[in-house]
Amino acid sequence: MSVMIRPSDVKIREGATPGTPYAAFTVGQKLKPVRFMITPEIVDEYARAVEADLSLYRLDGRPVAPPNVLFVYMTGVVYRTYPPIQGIVMIEADFRWRHPIYADESTEIVASGEIVDKFEKRGRRYIRWRGDFHRADGVLLSSLINTFHVPE
Amino acid sequence: MQQTFDMTQEKIDRYGDINGDYDIIHYDHDYAVQRGFRGTLAHGPHLSAFTCDLALKKYGADWFRHGRLRTKWIAPVCPGDDLVVELAGDGTITETVNGAPVVVGSATIEKD
Repeated sequence: MSVMIRPSDVKIREGATPGTPYAAFTVGQKLKPVRFMITPEIVDEYARAVEADLSLYRLDGRPVAPPNVLFVYMTGVVYRTYPPIQGIVMIEADFRWRHPIYADESTEIVASGEIVDKFEKRGRRYIRWRGDFHRADGVLLSSLINTFHVPE
Repeated sequence: MQQTFDMTQEKIDRYGDINGDYDIIHYDHDYAVQRGFRGTLAHGPHLSAFTCDLALKKYGADWFRHGRLRTKWIAPVCPGDDLVVELAGDGTITETVNGAPVVVGSATIEKD
């Protein structure tokens, strides 16, 4: 089976399925692991999109990806278990970087996670989940907590 | 440390391409207005990324192994906005449009 590369391959498209209403999210639910590859080309395209200065991103003589490149795969982890409805709005993210992603090679990544909370505040409904991004050989690259608003 | 970015629909579209995002709130002006916004919305993580060059300049190599980036998207950024991104000495992130905060958070080093 080929490994997914573009975030659009990883994500379930908004509107492509009926989508997941707030009530269907279950706290404690493990998210299906997602396997994808970050290539040098993806790093370049991401850097252009966020106007990053790649000349800054070097470590021990090697080019390194902006660790925030994982942002573009973020929702793919939760959307593959809970397909999105239109109009989801991201509220906050808390990323911790643990290991560099080198930009002179392709890196296979396995992302996993679980739903940790769902709550209502001022009439709006929110989902909070946590995720881990490991290299395929088991090295932890990054951990994440993300909160988004589900419109209804 | 401070940097200013001008937001355009072209930039939102470019981020959307790599983000693999098809939510029409980022692309359909009329839908976004109907939802109560001034216009289409820049992606929140797009805005967060603008702080990362500043964090790398501040922290150097530690950023890759011990960096923590917390961002909360509190107000929309739309095409035509000038976004001012500031990273304070204590790691506090403030991004503003016309002086009003749109993103708050922190970029810090945490070795635990």
